[in-house]
Amino acid sequence: MEETLHLKSADETLNLASSLIKYLPIPSIITLNGNLGAGKTIFAKGLAKGLNIKQDVTSPTFNILKCYFDGNVPFYHIDAYRLEDSQNKDIGLEEVIDGNGICVIEWPNYIKEIIFDDLNIDIQIISLNERVFTFKSENKKYEQVFTYLEGLKNVL
Amino acid sequence: MFYKLLLDTSDQYLSIGVAEENKLIYEKSFEAWQRQSELLVPEIVLALNSLKITLKDIKEIVIGKGPGSYTGVRIAMTFAKTLSTVTDIKIKAISSLAILGRADENFVSLINARSKRSYIAIYSQGNCLLKDQILPNEKVLEIIKEYHEKGFKIYGNTTYLNIPNDGQKIIEGLLTFANITKVEEDILSLKPIYLKDTL
Repeated sequence: MEETLHLKSADETLNLASSLIKYLPIPSIITLNGNLGAGKTIFAKGLAKGLNIKQDVTSPTFNILKCYFDGNVPFYHIDAYRLEDSQNKDIGLEEVIDGNGICVIEWPNYIKEIIFDDLNIDIQIISLNERVFTFKSENKKYEQVFTYLEGLKNVL
Repeated sequence: MFYKLLLDTSDQYLSIGVAEENKLIYEKSFEAWQRQSELLVPEIVLALNSLKITLKDIKEIVIGKGPGSYTGVRIAMTFAKTLSTVTDIKIKAISSLAILGRADENFVSLINARSKRSYIAIYSQGNCLLKDQILPNEKVLEIIKEYHEKGFKIYGNTTYLNIPNDGQKIIEGLLTFANITKVEEDILSLKPIYLKDTL
């Protein structure tokens, strides 16, 4: 399954992510690819908003993993950037990835050995505010997401 | 009186038992993933208070030493090592796969290792037939089929494999395997078993 969306602002990214929550199964694994500034963390903030999480969601680049338990379901935010070439990858991340909530992973390529059945989102920077989002997944459990995105494309 | 404290936090559960000699007089086991470290000490206090005994009455502490959850395998062990350092309580550390069954049973033990793998071991009458290891789930399912046909029980939460299981013992497992396990001589070098170094 694959779907592409053209978004014109960070607000649109935030709203899209927030509206996706309804269509995500538990557990969901969302992997985000995109350069610095593409909007990966904005997307994560949107998901958190959709889950009614009140805490501020910030990039876990330093922490690697941040957990949020004040929303509708547990929300796990991983930034694997610092695990590149690391000897210390075995820190139990697979327990939250294949866990009991929604897990979003930035820089997934650095821990691809422990990621299965994900919904992959690639973000391309077009201009200062414009982004192209490409959603891909081989797993049927995300079917509803793609049906929703298809419908959304006709509206945008 | 000779009391034993039985503890396991190595996977999703927090399990606490107290035995007087070899008789189980307290047992409590519940799902407590990510809350084990906050609940362990209060639950032990609760157990001791309800039996009207104190830590001074405990002569031996029996723990599951892993494999299992990254944090889980460290919690009961850290508690036991700390206690053993400041008192003269002895430690017995037993595989957390072994204690899913009783020492007098034949069984295959399973713990979800995630990433489509399982921790698996096979025990028969207290002897280890397949030592604790991490295997891909396809291989695990073949082993389960083979041993299920031989009449072995399947212990552990196997819902992730979409197959039925015979439950899990944990506290009875700790108690029965303790009888065939030696006391740890060198507490300082006692380490949890995690088994994952494969990335």
